[in-house]
Amino acid sequence: MSHESIRTAVQLILPECILIGTVCVMFLTGPFLLGRNGQASPGLRHRWGALALLAIGAAAWQWWHTTPVAAIDGPFLSDGLSFTIRGIVLALGAVLVLAAWNQLDDRTSAECNACLLALLAGVNLTAAANDIITLFLGLELVSIPTYLLLYLPTRSRPAQEATIKYFLLSLFSSAMLVYGLALLYGATGTTMLPEIVELLKATSLTESPLLLIAAPLIAAGLGFRITAVPFHFYAPDVFQGVPAFMAALLSFIPKVVGFTALWRLTALTSRAAAESADAVSTYMASVLAVLAVLTMFIGNLMALRQSNLHRLLAYSSVAHGGYMLVGLLAGGGSSGVPGGAALLFYLAAYGFMTIGAFCILLAARRSGDSIRTIDELAGLGSSQPLAALVLSVFLFSLAGLPPTAGFLGKFNLFLAAWSSGVSGTRWLAVILAMNAAISAWYYLRLIGVMYLQSPQPSTADAPTRNLPAWIATAVCVAGTLGLFLVPQAVWDAALLATQ
Amino acid sequence: MSESVQQLLMWLIPGAPLTAAILIALFGPKVLRGQSHWLCWLGIATAFGCSLALLTSITPEGFAVDPSQPAVVIGYEWIKVGSLDIRIDLRADAMTSIMLSMVTGVSLLVAIFGSGYMHHDPGYPRFFAAVSLFVFSMCMLVLAGSFLMLFVFWEAVGLCSYLLIGFWFRKPSAAAAAKKAFVVNRIGDFGLLMAMFLIWRTFGSLDFDWVLNSGSTEWQMIIGANRETITLICLCLFLGAMGKSAQFPLHVWLPDAMEGPTPVSALIHAATMVTAGVYLVARCTPLFVWAPTAQLVVAGVGAATALIAALTALMQYDLKRVMAYSTVSQLGFMFMALGAAAAGPEYVTPAVTAAMFHLFTHAFFKALLFLGSGSVMHSMGDVIDMRRFSGLRRVMPTTHWTFLAGAAALAGVPPLSGFFSKDDILASLSAGMTHGDHRLYFAIIFLVAVLTAVLTAFYTFRAYFMTFWGPEKFPEEAGAHPHEASPVMAIPLQILALLAISIGFIVGPLTHRFSSYLAHTMGLSETHPHLHWGLMLLSTAIAASGIYAAFVMYVRSPAKAEEARLRSGRLYDLSQNKFYFDEILTTLVVAPLRRLAALSVSFDRTVIDGAVDAVGRLPRLLSQAPARLHGGVVGNYALVMLLAATAAVVFVVQALGRQ
Repeated sequence: MSHESIRTAVQLILPECILIGTVCVMFLTGPFLLGRNGQASPGLRHRWGALALLAIGAAAWQWWHTTPVAAIDGPFLSDGLSFTIRGIVLALGAVLVLAAWNQLDDRTSAECNACLLALLAGVNLTAAANDIITLFLGLELVSIPTYLLLYLPTRSRPAQEATIKYFLLSLFSSAMLVYGLALLYGATGTTMLPEIVELLKATSLTESPLLLIAAPLIAAGLGFRITAVPFHFYAPDVFQGVPAFMAALLSFIPKVVGFTALWRLTALTSRAAAESADAVSTYMASVLAVLAVLTMFIGNLMALRQSNLHRLLAYSSVAHGGYMLVGLLAGGGSSGVPGGAALLFYLAAYGFMTIGAFCILLAARRSGDSIRTIDELAGLGSSQPLAALVLSVFLFSLAGLPPTAGFLGKFNLFLAAWSSGVSGTRWLAVILAMNAAISAWYYLRLIGVMYLQSPQPSTADAPTRNLPAWIATAVCVAGTLGLFLVPQAVWDAALLATQ
Repeated sequence: MSESVQQLLMWLIPGAPLTAAILIALFGPKVLRGQSHWLCWLGIATAFGCSLALLTSITPEGFAVDPSQPAVVIGYEWIKVGSLDIRIDLRADAMTSIMLSMVTGVSLLVAIFGSGYMHHDPGYPRFFAAVSLFVFSMCMLVLAGSFLMLFVFWEAVGLCSYLLIGFWFRKPSAAAAAKKAFVVNRIGDFGLLMAMFLIWRTFGSLDFDWVLNSGSTEWQMIIGANRETITLICLCLFLGAMGKSAQFPLHVWLPDAMEGPTPVSALIHAATMVTAGVYLVARCTPLFVWAPTAQLVVAGVGAATALIAALTALMQYDLKRVMAYSTVSQLGFMFMALGAAAAGPEYVTPAVTAAMFHLFTHAFFKALLFLGSGSVMHSMGDVIDMRRFSGLRRVMPTTHWTFLAGAAALAGVPPLSGFFSKDDILASLSAGMTHGDHRLYFAIIFLVAVLTAVLTAFYTFRAYFMTFWGPEKFPEEAGAHPHEASPVMAIPLQILALLAISIGFIVGPLTHRFSSYLAHTMGLSETHPHLHWGLMLLSTAIAASGIYAAFVMYVRSPAKAEEARLRSGRLYDLSQNKFYFDEILTTLVVAPLRRLAALSVSFDRTVIDGAVDAVGRLPRLLSQAPARLHGGVVGNYALVMLLAATAAVVFVVQALGRQ
């Protein structure tokens, strides 16, 4: 690889370079700021948090000045999709930094912030990958810092259990994914994504039986990221054991990478993209449709049973993964509402509402880590009216009711699935609507608990002040309402990404 | 004025009251408290200023270009997804700007009055938040550029009305009245919704600029091919108007709505919201001219309402209820005029102008009368029964003379505003009597209108004489010294009184200002109306006879009133008991519905609830199986994942094999 081609490649991933540079600084200097016995001066976390925000700001500035260009030859590309994903991820990454701020301890905050930035860079690299190797590297750059982040902030038994579970299952799924990608390379003879996509569209499965195994394995590996049933098992256990900001992160970031990678490999999944009659995608679309239906139903049905808010939101996150799969399957249709754009819009909306929900649980806590059980919500409407109102906004959005982003997001997904012209997606649209109705039950029940039940006497302490979490919440409220009131800009960006 | 300034003005008209409403709702209870009225005043005053600027600035330019076109259409593009394009359009033409100026002007005066009237009420901020929200909704209602927007804000004003009727929600009668208003209005809303569906099916659009634009040939083809549908649309639209404008038999909610604070009665249930129905029918004139049957229905229902309400008002002792029935009756007058457009194409514009002009003048004098009643009520310690006080004219001189001005305008004393507008209505009815295909029908309606006008003069002055004349008498609730209204209440009264006296003279038929301005509305054309001297004499005679009768009965020899009461017997009872409409509706409509509801409840309890509970239990049952898998053992999780991946491979292989 010549000097010139490296330079072009780096030019395309400047925002990520900024993030990775900051990560290096944090990892290298972090240990030196600790005392001899490993103690940090109080308040050190504020400095690391500020540095992380600064890095995200710089990356965002760089991102804003990139112009999307069409596909090129090289390991990276900077097209509409990566532009939109970067925007969403940087905005919500800043929110995550704020949410993590006071949940980190001064000693480990350098490493934790570094891991956060690294995984944001990983998401962006996945979106910028033009090659299955960079794609996989991007995915792993998300996974590995996630393990660290799960382990570093808390050392309690539930957290350790959660970490181990996530670690093992994530490794397992990565193994399936890398096996699938290797077979894909074997079947097509190239690692470049655009070439693979073209080949897959035209190739009949009978010609290259390797794809028979490659495609399901890739779907399984990525299915873990998007918490598709039955690859979702880790979610409730892990969400329950980890701090709120990590649960927020896990509900959103893996979905972004998973769907980005699936979208890049759209030739594997989209029936409409197939040119050959029995191209691999015609079969995989059926497999994914089954996954989508299972994911929506099991996610929502299991959420009905939960009394722990983290578990409830974990299953809700599973269900939302199912909704987005519907968008993916409707993608590439001939209608005026591209499913891919609906999916991207939903990702942005979902990011604001799910992260916002965890943030407000964090910000409104009375003692300990965050509000974790439904019982603790009782009477929140009178004891903390603002927090109750804000949580209601997020719950409305998750349930898909106006005037929130969730409504418009589900509406777009429904329109896309209904009008895509791809066979079978109309059924998915109907099932999506049914599931939205089921989900309303457990979201709205929480609002009922907050406003109609009287508070428990033991939880009457004054809330702990957590300014960064409140700022993060405010950003999420603005996003949730803003995407409903002035959605056009984001919708245009999503459209641009899918062209 | 440049276009951008105009756009800013148009956004400010609804925007300022909305901002005020939000700010008061957020900060009212904790921060603003007793100062909440300032924000409300500021918001409405801004809207009023902008409305006046709009009134003076935009139309002349619009006139020059195309007299029938709206002055401004501006839109906020909410979202465009595929073929779905949702816009929020504001649209202003002559009719809109007149309505806007009237609505915001009266609202401002009522809000000023309200700050005195509502003083010391614990819900003070809530009152002003709701009033601001109402002004916003009402402005949006008249600025709407499509039926959809109109419907949204039609519901929004209904909501504000509900909130304000039930303002004192701890009082059972207020809560019941609010509920009644809401439920009765739903019947009208059903009509409006049906009309919208039909319009969408017929025209393929809900935009005024398309549905009401009679200029294009395509439009005329649609109309020609769907004459029956157009009639149906117009009837459905009128059903919507009947609900909101309290027309017989949906008028029962309006008198009960007087449970709300009196400024609210003045603003919403006299001057503005209840005229929305008249506005809707006037706005849809281009459709109504193609549906003469609907126009006859409009006129007939208007006449029936006017007469029945006037007869009911005769024997009411509650001052506010007299005014409420009078409002219903006057709205009936407006609908009569709108229906009179059936006389022929050249009579459309005068008829609609007459209705709109009466709407305009009525807003001032009826708001004045309500505020005057409010002032009386305030001073009498919330007693409103006219039998318990009298002779207030010396104690409350300002209230007295302003009330007299309003009463004279309502009775149609020349040259006050009500005289001119009522005269216009009689003129268009007489045109229907002498021209067109339905002469006999309109002759009857004309007679009803004349009779109603006499009754109006009578009951108005009956209320006036009973309240302000006779021996001085105060109820014990008023305390030792009943007081005149404070300046903050007196000034709006005086301004409204001046307007009620002079507005007809300034813009009425003598100068043609109103009619030549309003002519620049879709469906209307420029006409050159003339004065109807004969009718004017008749009107004067009507007013004089009604007032004289009231004077004889209630001032000169009160014994006569008693005698008349005894002699009329049955009729008196009917009027006193509001023709038993509440009772009739209760037996005919409410009771069967109750029984149906009881049946539904038992059906719901046993069948539906059973089914729902079963379905609700089903997810739990269904989730038992996956719940067992979620046991927390990592090995199992990995095994399931592996099995799933294998299943996917097997599926693909066998699907391929089947081919």
